[in-house]
Parts: sequence; structure tokens; C-alpha cells
Amino acid sequence: MSASSLSRRAVLKSAAALAASAAAPGAVFAQSGGPLAFATWSAAVDQVKSHLAAFEKATGLKVDYSNSPWAQYREAMITKFVGKAPVDVLWVSDSWLPEFADAGWLAPVDGYKTLTAYNADTDAFSVDSMMHKGKQYGITYYTDFMGFIYNEDMLQKAGIAAPPTTWAEVVEMSKTIKAKGLSEYPMLLSMAQESWLIEFMAALVYSHGGRFTDDKGAAAMQSAEGGAVAALQWIIDAVQKHKIVSPACVETGELAGLKAFGAGQHAFGLIPKYRLRTLNDPAQSQIAGKAQIALMPKGGPKGTHATVGWMRFYGMTPRAAADPARAEAAVKLMEWFGGKANGEYTFQKMLFKDVGAGFGVKSLFQDPEMRAAYAKYGDIKVIEAQTALAKKKDVIAPWFGEWNDVNGAAWQQAIGGKITAEEALKRSAAKWDQLKKQG
Amino acid sequence: MSAAGPAGATGHVAGERHRRLRIAALWIASLIFVGYVTAPLVWLVSSSFQSEREITSKPPHWIPHEPTVQNFAAIFAAPKKDVTYETRRAADPASGGFIPSTAANLLPAMANSLIVAISVVILNLLVAIPAAYALAKIRFRGRDASIYAILTTRVIPDIALVVPFFLFIRNLGLLDTLASLIITYLAVTVPFSVFILTNYFEGLPDELDKAARVDGCSRLQTLLHVYVPLSLPAIVAVILFAFLASWNEFLLALMFTQTPNSQTLPIIVASFTSDFTISFSFINAAGVLAIIPPVLIALLFERYLVSGLTAGAVKG
Repeated sequence: MSASSLSRRAVLKSAAALAASAAAPGAVFAQSGGPLAFATWSAAVDQVKSHLAAFEKATGLKVDYSNSPWAQYREAMITKFVGKAPVDVLWVSDSWLPEFADAGWLAPVDGYKTLTAYNADTDAFSVDSMMHKGKQYGITYYTDFMGFIYNEDMLQKAGIAAPPTTWAEVVEMSKTIKAKGLSEYPMLLSMAQESWLIEFMAALVYSHGGRFTDDKGAAAMQSAEGGAVAALQWIIDAVQKHKIVSPACVETGELAGLKAFGAGQHAFGLIPKYRLRTLNDPAQSQIAGKAQIALMPKGGPKGTHATVGWMRFYGMTPRAAADPARAEAAVKLMEWFGGKANGEYTFQKMLFKDVGAGFGVKSLFQDPEMRAAYAKYGDIKVIEAQTALAKKKDVIAPWFGEWNDVNGAAWQQAIGGKITAEEALKRSAAKWDQLKKQG
Repeated sequence: MSAAGPAGATGHVAGERHRRLRIAALWIASLIFVGYVTAPLVWLVSSSFQSEREITSKPPHWIPHEPTVQNFAAIFAAPKKDVTYETRRAADPASGGFIPSTAANLLPAMANSLIVAISVVILNLLVAIPAAYALAKIRFRGRDASIYAILTTRVIPDIALVVPFFLFIRNLGLLDTLASLIITYLAVTVPFSVFILTNYFEGLPDELDKAARVDGCSRLQTLLHVYVPLSLPAIVAVILFAFLASWNEFLLALMFTQTPNSQTLPIIVASFTSDFTISFSFINAAGVLAIIPPVLIALLFERYLVSGLTAGAVKG
């Protein structure tokens, strides 16, 4: 085993194996038969608590709710799984599904028709994102996509009537805006090595008509005809040749980028769609009312308006599934949050209205209440159209984390001019195929 | 002489000018250094009194144009016992929807951090001082091996200890309790505390030990009345180390705590960056509160700080 392959996951698993022998005699569930254990990351905590209070009142079931920070949530949950801590229902990211399912930390929900019945009213991207090896592993928590956001005010000042529809137009418009002194770096890209990086890359790759992997899961990113090389080349040119994207983009994280966009420093930006609400909130943003969404620009001859989407879902653990009574309670909880509560998508609507989180429920786009809420800060027609063009990441695999480190570093080196786009993607592809071979 | 006089005067003037230039350069360099060191702190405090809109102003407002205490108001708001649909956004006095819903957990988390840190400090001193004295002043078989064995435990990275610790804590039924943190932090900090104190005690003359024993002191009395008073700088170093290590620790707290009943400050502050809406000004307000205890401790022990931090670095 090479040093580079000694991942955090491997260390945790090894440590668990070493400790298991000493701990095994006492390894029984301390809370078996007790309240449902519901684990989430620390988001929308009061919304969750309020909906839980209503659940307990409506069903008489008790729930132990715990949460931990998003950035470390995956590691925390892995520790709890290998340590056999009591967890029944949890939030899961689509990125972790293969890893969690293959490790036996999640139970399929195909047998629970109460949950799978919602598939008919859930967008295909979301259902697809919860599937692994032909089995479904949950019900939607929320879903969203990478949006192309522009500062309408800055475009008007530059004499630009409509947002760009291609990445070539982004370059031309950015040059105009830069020449007029409205922004030093009109295009915002946040390419720091963090969990958001793959979403930014994927949005660019998909809109250039490219893919990271082919239908068989083999690396396709290195193909000269593929969109990945063209996408990376576009960034390199934007930074080094046109100087419309800051060279510091490789150190700019999603949050820092959001704040910079909200401060009016950029004309265009790749920003998660749910941030539109923040950008148009006068209490948080200096461009409130001016942040608009457009379809993702097309790149090159094979370009499309496609973007990357992501989703999070409610998953059930084998601990809950093993006990019919506990499983029934877990299904009730999952439906209460991910489906309907008292005949309505109460939690999905609350999340959207309170924090702007996107929903994967098709019928909610027709809900007058939701349309009115959207209309306050976004163009629902564009959002609906872009939602339909969102695609799941094609690099979701158990080895994603290890590959992502190498891939991110390669892109950053290319953006910095140390290697070419082709070299970066060959390096990334080689790592992907090596990890795939290792399984 | 007459020629030397003006030359000497000129030399004196030049020397004086040179001296003044040096002082001025020193002042300027000092001011730049002080500005460089204090600027983040000043910005932390200043931005905690700004709205989320103002904090992103360009150029930044070092003095808030529209100061607000809304961030602190959210922190000091009474935590809600039962959150309902109607009260779910009550934590956000600005109604801007960007102050995290876990804001009211900050003060309880500070209390948890303080309890853990103080407990770890006290237990560290109770365990490490006698252990270090024994290792430094009592010759016994296996002494060197004991010292190396204690130090070896610090070579193991924390990440490798997480799962064994987790199983241990779970089997004791201590998950989501402050005791889980106190026990594991002790395991992490005591070896280093023993190392610092052992080296310091070894630097003190053995004759003191013998004289105290001749005068009828027991081992414990020798330790308490002779060595402890002479070792205050090293003890302060241990206090600072144990307190700060416990105050800032993240990984173990993340794994062992699950609810605000036991979550410590680093976990709660990290949770503020997890939400759909994230406020830099609010996080900075939390940062202001988070640095108060360590700063107070540093001020309290300031006179021992320099000698204490180098204690054990060089054998006497």
C-alpha cells in the first residue's frame, strides 16, 4: 500500500479493527428499543426541531436528534458506524452513497412503498442520485444545482442588455466590463480545494458537453475531444490570457466567493442556486435585487446549458431496518421530513421559504405559494428549466475522496500555468483508473 | 583645534541625527509589527459589531459606520426550550434569516468548554506533578523506560486513537457527556505535562531534595513545600498547555458529543459554517467571546509566561 493510498478512511477502519477485539464483549446497543436516533449536519436546526416537535406530537414517537458540523460530518458518521453507535435515520450526501451502501452502513428502502411512492413526484435526477446497484437508499431531503448568476446592475452600466448564453460571450462581456473599470475580475470562480470544488468543475465540464467518466465508469476526462479539457482550458485562458478571473481563484472558497459577489465585486459567477436568496437579501448583500440567474452558458461546439446538481437524502441504517417496529417508526420519520406531513410537503416548503433550499418535488413548482416566494428573488422559469438540465456528478464512487484530492490539485496547477490542461486531466484520469482498478 | 571643533560638532550632529533616525526607524518598525499582529484582532472585534451587509464593504470599515449588537443579542438570547413552527426563527432578531439557529447554544458551549478545560488542568496537575517528581528525583528500575513509554504515547496521531477511544467511551456509557472529553483529553495532555515537569524538576538541585528529607519532610511534603514553589514557571506552562489544548480541541469533541448538552465551543462555532445561510459578522462575534478566556488566562499568568514556555526545553 502506497503512502498516498493510506486514507483517513483506511486509518479509521484499521483503528476500528484493532480496537474491536477489546471492545467486542460489550458491543451491544445501549439504547436498543429506545427513541429513534436521528443524525444530521448542523443546518436548518430550528426548522428540524420544529418539525420534529410536530412529529412527536402527531405520532407519539420519541426522537433523539443530534447534529454535527457539515465539514466533518462524514468522518463523524463513519466513526459512529464502525463504533456501532445508535443511529437510525440520517442525512446522507449523494457523494457518499456508494461508500456507505457498500460498507453496509445504509439499508435499501425499496421494500417500503410509503417512501418509494414519492418517486413519481420527484425529479428524475434526485431519484437517480439515491440509487446504487439497482437499489434505492432514501427519500429526498433537498436538492439544488450550480447556477450561473449575474449582477444585472453591472451589466446595465456596461451597456449589456442580456446575460451571456455561451462561455465565449462571457469572455467578451467580461472584457467590456473590465475595460469600463466596473470590475477588475468580472467572472467569479471559486476553485479552492474544498468540498465545493468538484461542483464548480462539473458545471463547467457539463456545459462544455464533457464528462469525467464514460458509461462504464472509466476515465473520460482526458479525451482531447471531451469537454473537460475545453472547460479547463477556458479557465486557464480566463485567468492568464484574458485576466477576467482572478489568479487567486485557486484560494477562493465558495463562501468567500459568495461574499465577494454580494459585495458587488463581480459581474458573473458560478454560485449554488440557493444562494440567490442571500444575494438578494438587503440585510446581507450590497447587490440585493440585482442578482439574477441565467441558464448555464454553453461552451464550444458540443456545449449545452447543462449544469451539475446535487442532492441530500434521508437514509436508514441497518440497525433500524433489522427491527420491524423500529423500521416502521424510521419510515414514518423519513416520510414526515422527505415526503408529506399532514398531507403537505411541509418541511420542503419550510426549508425553501426559510433558507432558500431547493426541492426535488415536481409538484411544488406549481404551488402558488412557492412560486410567489421564488418570484421575490429569482426567475422561476429559468430555475425550473435549469433544474431539468441538472445532472448528477459522474464521479460518485467509493474512491471519490482520494481521486478528488489529486484531481483538484491538477486543476489548480493548470490554472496556475504550471502544467497544461491536457497534462492535468491525464494525471487525473490515471489516478481515477488506478483507484477504480483497486476497487 | 579650531579645525577639529567644527568637525567634532558636525560629527556630533551627524551622530545625533543617526541616533534619531535609528529611533524613528525602530518606532516605525515597531508600529508596523504591532499593526500586523493586532490587525486581525481589531478586525475581529470591529466586524462583530457590523451587519452582514457592512462587513463586505469595499474598502472595509475598520470602524463600523452603522454599529449593531444584533450578533451578540442573538448569542445572549435565552435558549428556546421547545421550538415550534411559530418560534423557529425567533433566534434571529434581525429577521434577516442569516443568524444561525444554533446561536443560543454558544454560551452553554462556552460553559462546557470551561468545565472541561478547568477539570483537565486540575487533573493534569494532580497527576503530572507527583509523576514528574518521582521520575526526576527517585531512582528506580525502569525509570528511563517509563519516561520513554509516556512520551511514545504522544507519537500516535489523534486520528488513529479516535475509534478505540470511541469504543471505550461508548462501552462506559459516556457518549455525549463532558466526562468523555475530560477522560480523553487527560490521556492526550498528561504525557506532555509530565515531560515538561520532569525536565524542570531534573534541573533543580538534588541537594534540595536531600536537605528536605534530612529535615524530616516526607516525599509529599518535599514536593509540595520545596519543588512546587520553585517550579511555578513550569507549572504555569502546564496549565496553559492543558487549558488551551482542551479549549481548542475539535476532533474528539466532534466524535463524542452529539447535543448541546455536551458540545464544546469549537463544535458549535464550526456548526455556524454548516448552515444554508452563513454570517461572517456573527461568526466573528462568536470568535470575540471565544478568545476571552484564553486571553484572561494569559494575562493572569503573564509574569510566568516566557520562562514557563521554555521550561523543559533545555536541561539545567
